[in-house]
Amino acid sequence: MIEVRGLRKRYGRRLALDHLDFAVPEGEIFGFLGPNGAGKTTTLRILATLTPPDGGTAVIGGVRVDSRPFAVRRLIGYMPDFFGVYDRLNVVEYLDFYASCYDVPARRRRRLAGELLELVDLADRAGDQVDTLSRGMKQRLCLARALVHSPQVLLLDEPASGLDPRARLEMQELIRELRRMGKTILISSHIVPEVEELCTWVGVIDAGRMVEIGPKADVLRRAAGARRLRIELVDADEARTAEARRLVAGWPGVIAVEDVEKGLEAAIEAGLPAHLLLRDLVQAGFGVGAFTPVQAGLSDVFLRLTERGTEGVA
Amino acid sequence: MSERADPVRWEWSGLRRLVFNPLIVKDGLARVRSWRAPAVIALYLGLLGLFAWLAFSIQLTGFPQPTGFARVASNVFTALALVQLALVCLVTPALAAGAVSGERERQTLDVLLVSCVPSFGIVWGKLVASVAFVLLLILAALPLFATVFLFGGIDGQQFLVAQLLTATTALAVAAVSLFLSTMFRRTLGATVVAYGLTFAATAASWYTGTILLASGHIRVGQALLFANPIQAMLAALQGASSVVGRAGGPPAYAVTGGGLVPLGPRPSAPAVQPWEVTVAIELAIVAVAAVGTMFLLRERRGGGSGSG
Repeated sequence: MIEVRGLRKRYGRRLALDHLDFAVPEGEIFGFLGPNGAGKTTTLRILATLTPPDGGTAVIGGVRVDSRPFAVRRLIGYMPDFFGVYDRLNVVEYLDFYASCYDVPARRRRRLAGELLELVDLADRAGDQVDTLSRGMKQRLCLARALVHSPQVLLLDEPASGLDPRARLEMQELIRELRRMGKTILISSHIVPEVEELCTWVGVIDAGRMVEIGPKADVLRRAAGARRLRIELVDADEARTAEARRLVAGWPGVIAVEDVEKGLEAAIEAGLPAHLLLRDLVQAGFGVGAFTPVQAGLSDVFLRLTERGTEGVA
Repeated sequence: MSERADPVRWEWSGLRRLVFNPLIVKDGLARVRSWRAPAVIALYLGLLGLFAWLAFSIQLTGFPQPTGFARVASNVFTALALVQLALVCLVTPALAAGAVSGERERQTLDVLLVSCVPSFGIVWGKLVASVAFVLLLILAALPLFATVFLFGGIDGQQFLVAQLLTATTALAVAAVSLFLSTMFRRTLGATVVAYGLTFAATAASWYTGTILLASGHIRVGQALLFANPIQAMLAALQGASSVVGRAGGPPAYAVTGGGLVPLGPRPSAPAVQPWEVTVAIELAIVAVAAVGTMFLLRERRGGGSGSG
């Protein structure tokens, strides 16, 4: 449904996209993962006909984005990472306005607004002023807005950013429902657990290049080479935990270390001799309550593939 | 572009969008729901009414005889038309200079640009939405003008020309402000430049041109007064001579205690009236500014050849 070949984009001296290639099959939820500045938003803006690429091609539903943007706009529903709403309009008027922007006939608009508000669970707020809604409600309303012309493809840039856990779960359920309705959904995110829970396909972008792509199960299978260790520290205060973190991070073969409750979690390469790391910790005077491997997840893939950091543009 | 593949459908669709433009409805609703709309209308009418009353009081002191009523009414009408022109030039940039930059600041522009409203539709919608409120102000003030009109001294054509000149000036100021609103990232910058240009093209150029004409710098003075809406308004209402049809003549009129008084013999009517030239040039400015705004929006939309 979405096909991107050799996409390039440069902002001044900074390379945002460097021959980006990927394809999203129809009916999938594609998680577009990458650190801040990796080029996710640039890619979405090109697909949304808002930014011209310097080279390469992007095709949605068989239509080239650069040469037939109007046709593409009818195929896509776009939700940017930052968006505002109009004040002095109520929820129904807000949807009615965007429906008229997509030439939805006036006699259909009122019914459509009702259906969409039911879908995003905002039917009881139909008469409320848009600017009085909570952040989560505005996100859902924006998603409803992206659906007014019944697009085949949804481009969602960080759809759950800034949402509380409940609103995030509601948004995820809504996106699953849209997939059941046959939509192809591309979600840009840097929140790995969100993509892991929600998406059926995963692509990891780093410094403007796609470094991993495929069905989520395949990506996780390929990631099995990487491992994760959970190190529980006994009676370690903040300073001692930081000391332990430095010790672990300094080991060759340790990809990344992060603080977790009561200790640390480290992403390590497959060949790392974990028992020697444990010995070093004990010899350094740390009380180690537990030292257990954790099953590899998408976080490990993400950390391993994007460890060198980026200087690109989001 | 798929729509352009079918010219008849595209033309019809374009015409439909022109009339039922969603931006006109949305911006119109938002504007009239604001407390500012009635406040601006009240202030506008209050100022015009107050000025009319003051002008009548002063003029009647100078012309106590009943036979002078027509002249008084003519002078008051002219002064009122000029005040209305000034008020419109003050209000219009405030309405139009934030039309696009405001969408950008509110973070609603991208979503609008991804919609199927063509760039022309956005320009048209924003322009009409901005000017509609000014036209409402002009319409609201018509009874006030009609009251002065009852005293005579102004014929129907002059009455209409004054309103037309005000309306086309508002349209031109709105179009330029809209262009600046698209060019500048911030509403503040667009508004400041819009006010600067409006002032330069109206009061500043008229004042400088009049001074230069009076001091004998005919060509420069005429160039500054060419198509100036104040000059055109005075010419239409007070019979002030045309800078178009009258090269090398003396200053057109002077401001005295009794109002604006033409100087020298009234010349024969030029082939083209000054207000006609002004209206034509203002409409040309609207066209150029609208095309420029469309160009900037297309650039913002990814610059695709068919980006609408």
